[in-house]
This record gives sequence, C-alpha cells and structure tokens, in this order.
Amino acid sequence: MTSAELRKFINFLIEKGYIVWAPVKKNNIVDYEEVNKADNFQMIQEAPFYSFKRLLIPREETLFEYKDNELKEVNNFKDQVIFGINPVDLKALVLLNYIFEKDPWYQGRMKKTLIIGQSLIPKEPEHNIFHYKYKEDILEHLQFDIFIEAQKGVFNTKYFFYTGSEKGQRILDEYGYNEYENIQFAGAIKEEGQDKNMIKYRDSLKNNYKKELWEKDLGAKCIECGKCTTVCPTCFCFDIKDQPGLKSGGKRRRARSSCFYSDFSEISGNHKFLNSTAEKIYFWYYHKFVAIPDQLQIPGCVGCGRCAKVCPVGINIFKVLTELDNNEKSIQNSNLQNFKD
Amino acid sequence: MKNPYKIQTSKILKIEKEGSESKLFTLKAPKDFKFKGGQFVEVSLPGFGEAPFSICSDPSQKNNFEICARKTGVLTSELHKMKKGESIGIRGPYGAPFPIKLVEKRDLLLVAGGLGIEPLRPIILEILNNRKKYQKVQLLYGACEESDLLFSGEYEKWRSGLEFFLTLDKPKDISGNLPKKWKCQVGVVTSLFDRAKIYRNAVAFLCGPPVMYKFVIKKLKELDFKDEDIYLSLERRMHCGVGVCNHCAVGSFSVCKDGPVFSWERIKDVRGAI
Repeated sequence: MTSAELRKFINFLIEKGYIVWAPVKKNNIVDYEEVNKADNFQMIQEAPFYSFKRLLIPREETLFEYKDNELKEVNNFKDQVIFGINPVDLKALVLLNYIFEKDPWYQGRMKKTLIIGQSLIPKEPEHNIFHYKYKEDILEHLQFDIFIEAQKGVFNTKYFFYTGSEKGQRILDEYGYNEYENIQFAGAIKEEGQDKNMIKYRDSLKNNYKKELWEKDLGAKCIECGKCTTVCPTCFCFDIKDQPGLKSGGKRRRARSSCFYSDFSEISGNHKFLNSTAEKIYFWYYHKFVAIPDQLQIPGCVGCGRCAKVCPVGINIFKVLTELDNNEKSIQNSNLQNFKD
Repeated sequence: MKNPYKIQTSKILKIEKEGSESKLFTLKAPKDFKFKGGQFVEVSLPGFGEAPFSICSDPSQKNNFEICARKTGVLTSELHKMKKGESIGIRGPYGAPFPIKLVEKRDLLLVAGGLGIEPLRPIILEILNNRKKYQKVQLLYGACEESDLLFSGEYEKWRSGLEFFLTLDKPKDISGNLPKKWKCQVGVVTSLFDRAKIYRNAVAFLCGPPVMYKFVIKKLKELDFKDEDIYLSLERRMHCGVGVCNHCAVGSFSVCKDGPVFSWERIKDVRGAI
C-alpha cells in the first residue's frame, strides 16, 4: 500500500466501528490516541511515551459486580484496534499474552482487539537499548493480527502487509486487499535458543549480589515513586479490591499496582517483606531479569527505555545493566551466608 | 472461559473460640472440595475483599473444612462478626501441600511457631487417624503466651499418638509460674530441641514466622538434616492465589502457586526467602 492507501484502510476500520488507537504526536509527546479520521495520519517512528499497555490492562477495571454474596462477572468490551505497535513493544505483548493467558478480562479484551504492528523501530538508542533490529524473520516470534512493514523509497514509503491470525486475514479480505503473507507464530524463543543478553543478566543477578549497586547506589537514589512501573510495558502487578456502592452492593475492582508502593508486600499484622528501597528496586530488577526468564524463558524487559526517560532521579536501566555485566566488584551472598554471622 | 476469580459460597456450620483472639470456622465444603495439609483458600467477603487462610482441618472429612482466623484486619474483623448459618465466599484450595506421602516411610518432625500450627494440624490429624501408616512423629510447638495457644482442647489426643513438646515464650500466669496443665516449658521453640531427642534421618515440616525458620534450620543443619528433607511454609501476600499478581513473589517463585510449602533445598539460595 501507499501512504494514501494505508489511510484509506484506517478509515475503513474506523467506519467499521472499531475504536482505532494509534501513536499521535501532540505538543512534542507521542502517545496513543483515538483516531477519528485518518486523513492526515502519519506513521511515527518514535516510541510512544506510554506503551499500548493501558489499552489491554487498564489502570483500573471492574471484574465483578457484587450484591450480598453474589458476584456477577463484568465482561463487556468494545471493538478496538491498537495500531502501530513497534517490534520492541510487540515483545511486551507476547509476554503479557503469556501472563494473562487464563485471565477472562484480558482475553475478553483481546478477542475484541485487532493488533496492528509496524516495523519502524525507534531511532534513538535509548528507546531500543538492546539494539533490536527489524528483520522479517523476527515476525514469527511476535504476536499480532496484522503487521505492516514500511519500506522507505527515495520518493515515498511503501507498506507491505503480513497477517499473524485468522482475524487479521479476515479483515484484510473484507477490505479487499489480498497482497499479504501469513506468518505462523513459532513461539517467543528463537531457533538459536534463549536470548544471550537475558542469560547474561540472569546469571549476574542470581549469582552475584552487588551490595554496592543495590544498597548504596540505587537504594539511596530511588525515591519509590513507581513511575517506571507505570510506563513499563511489561509491569503488570495488580491489586484486587472491593469498592462498595453508595446504596447496596458494589464492585470488585482490579488496579495496577507497583512493587515500590509500601503496601505491596504487606500481610496481616502490618508485616512487610519489602522494606528498604534497595529491597524494592532489587525486586523490580529480579522480576524482569530473573523470575520471568526462569518462568517463561523470555526476557522480562524489552529494552524500550521508558523507565529511564521517566525516572525523576535519573536511574538509567542501561547503566544498571552495564554495571551488572561488570564483574569486578562483586560480593557473593546467599541466605546461608547470613547463618554464618 | 473459566474464571479463576469466581467464588463459591460456603455456609458457616460452626464457630468456636480458639485462643483469645482467634475463631475456628467450620465451613460446608463445596462439591468435590478436596485438600491436603499445607494448602489454603482465599476467603472472599464482598465489600471487604479477599485474604488467604490455611485450611486447618482433617483432610479426610469430605463434607466440611475448617479455617482459623485471628482478628488482625478489616476482613478478619468482619469474619469475626459473622454468625452460624451465614455464608462466605471461597476460592481454592490452592498451593502446594506438605509432602505427606514422603513420611509414610520416614520419621517426621513437625515444628510450629505461633499461628504456624494451623497448616500443620491437617498433618497431625491425618497421622492420628491412620497412625499405623506412619512412623515416629514428634511435634514441637512454641507460642508466645498461653492465650495464643490454638487447638488446646486436642492436646491430650495429640499426645496419645505423637511426641508432643510445648513451650511458651512468655507464660503469663498471675503468680509468674508455669501453668501446669499445659505440660510446657518456657522459651522459644528452638529450646525444645534440647529437650526432645530429635530423630535423625527424619523429615521436617515447619511452619512459623521467618525468624523461627532462621533458628530452626540452623538447629536442623546441626543435626545433619539434608536441605531436601526440610519443608517450610512461607507466608506472603497471596493476593490473587493463582500465581499472576506477583505480590507473593519470592525469587522466581509464586508462593501461592509454587508454594506455600517449599523444600529448603529449593529456596535456600533465594535472597529474602526467610
């Protein structure tokens, strides 16, 4: 397709009744916005300030409505298109799809969502810290309904279409466009095996507790604001809480949570398991770079760099990872070590 | 699709006082409800949320089960207000139980600290009901004060089938003397290791606060217990109960799904596990 044809296709989706979300640049900030008319639409290479995450896992949502002891599942979602997710963020989608595979609300929303990815990877290295490159062969390890590959020519850009699901094929067929190739999802892990960076950082975090880094450096710097957890496309921790209605009954709600907030690890009797800032930030890194790799064999960080951009005290994930990779000043530690004290 | 957060309602059949701050609730078991000692349920009181509770009854009882709740927060306060005949919501049972099969052929050491006696009670009752199936069993139970003792009406029965050692940290008696009827001593639970002759080559099931684990595991290691023969139940904020919300993460494990019972072998290298 040409740019003009692409706009026509987006207009078709809008007319079909989808809410179409796409990255839009406004006041110098790129963010997902609802597009009502695609006539001036342009593909944006910059990473959106927020990822697509909130469109699939809202900050807060109602799971059930309750009355007395009866819970009624609330599950009514609108048809939506999330347009223009770049390959870095699509890796986060793969991860969330695993995490929420049995979740009726996430799945309910996904059933109504058309995911349209695109190949423009952010130019700024801080938005692609692992230097992930777009090549056609990465597509079989990503999940999408439609994927649009932009090929920039001398005078104009051409768009090539791939599908990753029947849903994607059906839409394109209906639109009357059949110049697409279908890609079968081959799992998140590439043929050559697990991600080498992932293994490197996992081993470092698991086997080398860097006391200086966690307790002196990051533990002192971090102010536990939790902004990184908000913008991170893979941060998904949540709370479930009841919100009584004013008259009777109420709602059981789910809200995104943050491991930096003080009640995150709290149990009965006000006891907490994450107390110091150092423990919290270590927990955050451990979840992404050890726990998720151990559980799913894929990295828990896609390298989008949003956490560094938003951090008010300048903690830069790329620098932290470089430090993890530097094995000179390491302190071996384990629970057993504590027994010797 | 199946909704893992859906609750089943369960009628309160009986409420008894346990210790000074806890109540024991006998609940009607939903159809096909089966559990093993060490597992838990999420109790749901719409309006007040959900919280995990160890199931503390005899696993062979099919029609009902018990949970013991100490009044510590909003949900437990509400639970304490409830009356026989009313219903609560439950989800579960969840989690990995204590590996009771393992002790059919091995001696067993049970160590409980405080409320930690709750998930061990199904093990105790299972053994007493099928005493011949099991080998030698010792139970070391330490509580803070007399008023913290749970299931005290059953101690004579427990003593009839297993070696039961009890200790109180601060035995508050008006005279300052030890209440004789408990047949207990003064001190923390590790002090019982000097009194009981612990069977070597036993398997140990532990449940108590983190500080107890530190000292008990040290004792067990002195007695040459292997890491894989020590099982402990971790307490964490098990919020969703199905291994997703991540509040109960310990290392790469979800306590609600991979635990709450872990072998020491599995978690000994995880920072902050105990």
